[in-house]
Amino acid sequence: MRYLPGVLEVQGLSVVYPGSRSPALVDVSVTLQDQRMVVVGSNGSGKTTLLRACLGLAPVTRGRVRLFGREVQDARGLLPVSTNLSEVYRLLSVPVGDLIRLQARLKGGNTTQASRWIREFELDPVLRRPLHEISTGQAKLVSNLLALDHDPRLLLLDEPFENVDLSRRRRLVSLLRQARGCVLLNTHEFELLRHFEDWQLGFLLEGKFLGPYSVSDLDRLFLNRGEVPESIGQIRTTLGTFSITRDRGEAPLKGATTFQSLMERLS
Amino acid sequence: MNVLRPFLKAMLTNRSLWFWGVAFMVFWLVLGAFIFSSGLPSTAIPAFTASWFAVTSLFSLSTLAIGISASIAYATAALAYGFRFTLLKPRDYLFSLLAGTGVLGLTLTVIMLGSTVGVFGARFHLTLLPADPVALVGAAVLAGAFMMALSVTLMLLVVNFLGLRNTSFVSFVPLLLSYVFGLGEVNVAVPSWLLYGSPFSDISALLYQGFTGGAPPVELASASSGTLGWPWLLASLLAWTGLLLLGAAYLLRHIRVRSIEEGRQM
Repeated sequence: MRYLPGVLEVQGLSVVYPGSRSPALVDVSVTLQDQRMVVVGSNGSGKTTLLRACLGLAPVTRGRVRLFGREVQDARGLLPVSTNLSEVYRLLSVPVGDLIRLQARLKGGNTTQASRWIREFELDPVLRRPLHEISTGQAKLVSNLLALDHDPRLLLLDEPFENVDLSRRRRLVSLLRQARGCVLLNTHEFELLRHFEDWQLGFLLEGKFLGPYSVSDLDRLFLNRGEVPESIGQIRTTLGTFSITRDRGEAPLKGATTFQSLMERLS
Repeated sequence: MNVLRPFLKAMLTNRSLWFWGVAFMVFWLVLGAFIFSSGLPSTAIPAFTASWFAVTSLFSLSTLAIGISASIAYATAALAYGFRFTLLKPRDYLFSLLAGTGVLGLTLTVIMLGSTVGVFGARFHLTLLPADPVALVGAAVLAGAFMMALSVTLMLLVVNFLGLRNTSFVSFVPLLLSYVFGLGEVNVAVPSWLLYGSPFSDISALLYQGFTGGAPPVELASASSGTLGWPWLLASLLAWTGLLLLGAAYLLRHIRVRSIEEGRQM
């Protein structure tokens, strides 16, 4: 049987930052073939580190990441991969307008789409200012638009809605739903999940991945203390062991604000 | 895929470069012309002016290194990402920096030349023009390239092996060495082998040669102290620049991503 490489293959990934005693990611495995996945986790759960590791920007201590069948460390000129991590847009301290032109050239495209989005999101006033001089929400939006530009086949988005106002959030959701490639999106906001009903769902807790499930199943998922026979996923945390069950259990995930608060309530 | 134009724009809009690299140096030229020139015999005016031009230009050029170092420290993730997921290649990036600093080196030297001619001309009521503009242009471009090669190599050594906590100090190393060698040449009898071997002395000596058209003296403050041969000065500067560029190319291919927050833990 012929091996078909996934767009993103993460296998047994562990990350420990220098000087840190606790790992940021522990034995994480995720595969995306043509799916879109939203990963929910509280602050410090390892969401950003997962994206950074997928791009070869985090110190991986174990495991591997493959993009389009290639080891991430060996990737060169892999244009279909894109991200909104702001650190990758700090190549030079230039105004946002120049940054858009620079990124378009580096991705082998033009600025037509990004310019249209800049107008739609009313970001024209920031074009003459560098990314570090504009507001956090505006910088996040610019990074999102740069990531979405040039139709990436793998889009890695870190908290794309953070500090973004409500009307622009709606427009961004619409853009994200139109994106054609695989998407791995991180958020700590449970309430955002209702916008992505047909996406896969994963949880990150203390650097450990739990999933994949389906966002449309969220109303049927429950969190339980300890190991239970009918569990469809288990995780060991500093608060104890927790299991996910479908259709019945101790605490419904529906209506939860954060996974952490659910665990704390149960423990 | 080069990034020459945005690099030039980023550097030319860097206010620190204009203040420390131009305004502060013009201030030194004014001091040199109006304060430190008392009792100067008229025969010594050309050499005196050329020495001030050479040393302040060296200081000015070394401020380029600070801007380049800072941009590398800030861009470790962007560079690693760019090499993997865009058309940017390490070779093209280095070429952009090399060409850009050549242009910037020339720009700063021309500004310092204009300032020197203006300030010293006003003081001595003379029109002192460079005797060998071609040599001056060559020295300026090469000096810019050397400052870039030095700052990139030093910064990448720190980024790859030590972390960002040391970057603030390292970004000033080219400036500090420029002051050590530049002021050393004026105030101390530095052995000629050290002048040939030091790229900073090579730069100031070559700029002096371009300004006066004559061989630079071993001691900038004393025209009768023997002279240095420009082919050796040029060979030394080229060798330094070439070696550092090779180092920078190797280190850039193996760049280690550092978090900016790491640099803020000072």
